[in-house]
Amino acid sequence: MLGSFGVGKSSLVRRFVYDLFDERYLTTIGVQISHRSLLKRMSASSRNPVNLKLILWDLAHIDTMNDVIKTYFRGSHGAVVVYDITRPESFDRTAEFLLPFREINPSSPVIFAVNKCDLLSPNHANYGLFLEKTKLFNGGSCLFTSARTGERVEEAFHQLATLILEADGR
Amino acid sequence: MTELYEKILSEKKIAYAVFSSQYFVEEHSRYFVKLMERPVTRGVTVLWDLFPELVGSEDQVEGVLQGKQRRFTLEKISKFTEQVKLRYYNLILLPFKKAGVNQILCIMNDTTFETSLEQRIQQQQHEIKLLESTLTSAIPPLSSGLVGDSPKIEIVRKFITKIADIKSTMILLEGETGTGKNLVARMIHNQSALAKSPFIEVNCASIPATLIESEIFGYERGAFTNATSSKHGLLEEADGGTFFLDEISELPVALQSKFLSFLENKTFRRLGSTLERTVSVRIIAATNHNLLQAVERGEFRQDLFFRLNVVSLRLPSLRELGTDIISIADHFIHIYAFDFKKKTLRLSEAAQQKLLSYHWPGNVRELRNVIERAVIFADGEEIEPDHIVLVEEPKIEALSPERPLLPDAATSLYEMEKEIIQRALKQAKGNQTRAARALGLTLDTLRYRIKKYRIHL
Repeated sequence: MLGSFGVGKSSLVRRFVYDLFDERYLTTIGVQISHRSLLKRMSASSRNPVNLKLILWDLAHIDTMNDVIKTYFRGSHGAVVVYDITRPESFDRTAEFLLPFREINPSSPVIFAVNKCDLLSPNHANYGLFLEKTKLFNGGSCLFTSARTGERVEEAFHQLATLILEADGR
Repeated sequence: MTELYEKILSEKKIAYAVFSSQYFVEEHSRYFVKLMERPVTRGVTVLWDLFPELVGSEDQVEGVLQGKQRRFTLEKISKFTEQVKLRYYNLILLPFKKAGVNQILCIMNDTTFETSLEQRIQQQQHEIKLLESTLTSAIPPLSSGLVGDSPKIEIVRKFITKIADIKSTMILLEGETGTGKNLVARMIHNQSALAKSPFIEVNCASIPATLIESEIFGYERGAFTNATSSKHGLLEEADGGTFFLDEISELPVALQSKFLSFLENKTFRRLGSTLERTVSVRIIAATNHNLLQAVERGEFRQDLFFRLNVVSLRLPSLRELGTDIISIADHFIHIYAFDFKKKTLRLSEAAQQKLLSYHWPGNVRELRNVIERAVIFADGEEIEPDHIVLVEEPKIEALSPERPLLPDAATSLYEMEKEIIQRALKQAKGNQTRAARALGLTLDTLRYRIKKYRIHL
C-alpha cells in the first residue's frame, strides 16, 4: 500500500481485512502487516479456484526514499497506490515512490485507488483530474474507492489479485 | 553465563532466536517467546510462520543464511498484541555459524516506546497538514474569494487589484453589515507585498470605550490600576503589515484625535509613556454607517474623516448583485456540503427563485447562515424552498418623527438612548438581532450597549 499521508491506506486495508472503518486518523509508522485469503481462479479457463493469501504491507507515508523502504518493496507482487480525492496534491509525489517500486519489481502490477470518494459528488472535477493523472503511470485500473462506505474496496483488491495471478502465469 | 546475557538483553528489550538451515527454530531467549506472544518449539516452529513479513524476501533471507548477505533488516514493524495494543519492533537477521553449519541469528528489538513517541509527533504533523489541505481545498483561495461576475463585483475586484500595492494610501470601506468588508480588507492585504506580514483587526464596537485606547496603543507598567506590566498595543502588533479598524464610526470621539495624530505623524505613545513610537502599517477602515452624516451630527471628527477617506469603496449589498446571489449560494453549498460530508447538493429552481426574491437585509452573512441550515436539513440531492428558512424583516415600526422620541419629561441623552434600545428590544420581542437591525447597529454594538445601560432582558 503506497501513498501520501492521510489518504486512507490503512483504512482501506482495515475495510478489506476486517470490514471495519474508524473515523479517527492514526498515522502509520514503518510498516503494518495484515493478511486475508481470497479464492481466485488462476485463469479464466481454470475450473478450480486457488486459495491466494494476500499479505498486505501497509507502508507509512514516504518522506524520502531510502534503503529501508526499498527493503519493504523487495519481493512485492503488486501495489495499490492510494490517493485522497479531496486532495489533488496527494498525487504530486507519486513518481518518488512508484518509480523505485517499479525498478525493484518491474513485473508487479499496480492499481490506483482514489479514496474518500464519499466526500465528493460524482461530477466533481477531481474525478477527471485523477483519471488523467494516473494514466501517466501506465498502471492498471484507477478505481474510486471509499473505505468509509466500502465502495469498490473489495473490487480494488480482487482486481490486484487477478493481475498478480496473470503476471505470475506469464 | 547465558542466564546473565539473557537478563541484560531482555532488560534492553532485545530478544533473539537462532534458525537452522531449514529455517526451524534452534534456540531462543525467553524474551523472544514473550514478544512473539505464541508458543515457539525448537525444531518445529518455522521462521516464515513467526515472521510472515519475510514472505517475499526469501532470496535475501537465503543470502543471509549462506553468508552472502551481511544482514537483512526490517525496521518499525508493527503488530497488535493480545491486548490489541500496537507493538513496534525492528527485526535483524545475521549470518551465524555453529559447528561449521550455516544458521541465522534473528534479533528482535522492541521499540514500542520510542516509535510510539515518533508516531505521536508524526500524527500531529500530519493532522496539521491535513487540516491545512482541507481548508485550502474546501475554500477557494482568498485571491478569488469574491464570487460572482456582476458589474458591481467586477468593480470591487478591480479596486482590490489597483489598490493592493499602494501601501501608503488609507482605505475606507463602506457598506451594509454582512457585505464582506472584512473579506475585502483581507484580500487587499493578501494581494499586496505585505501578505506575509501581520493583518491585525480591531472591531471598535466590540471593545469597551474604556479599554480601546490601551488595546490599540498599548500601555506601560503603572499606567493605570492593574497595569502590572507593559503591553504592546495592536498597532505595534501590526507593524509592517495591515491594521484594519472595523466599525470605525464607533471609535470614541476622545480617541479619534489621538488616532488622527497617529495617521498624520506615524508616531504614538503608549498609555503612561512619554516615549514616541513609530510603526509602519497600512490602515484600512470600515463602517456600515454613513460617516459624513456622523460628521454632521458631531459624532465623528471631520478631519479624521477626510484623512481616512483618501480612497473609499462602497461595497454593494447582496440584493444589488442579482443572479450573483445564486453563485454565492452555490459557493457556500460547496463549502458546507464538504464540511457536513454530503455528496451531491444543488439548489432546485424553486429554491433559487426564493433566494432571488428575498431582500437580504443581513447580506452575505445572512445568506451563508441560511445555506448552512439548508445543507444540514436537505435530504436528497436538491435544496428545496422548504429548506430555506428566511428571517422575515423585523416588523418594527421605524423610529420616525411621527413617533415622539423624546420622553415627556426632560431627560439626559443617556436615558434617551437607553429607552430607545429598550423600545426596540420590546418590539423585537427580545430578539437582539432584529432589534440591532432596526436600530442600524451591529449585534456586538447592541450587546455592548445593553450591558452599558444595564438593560435587563
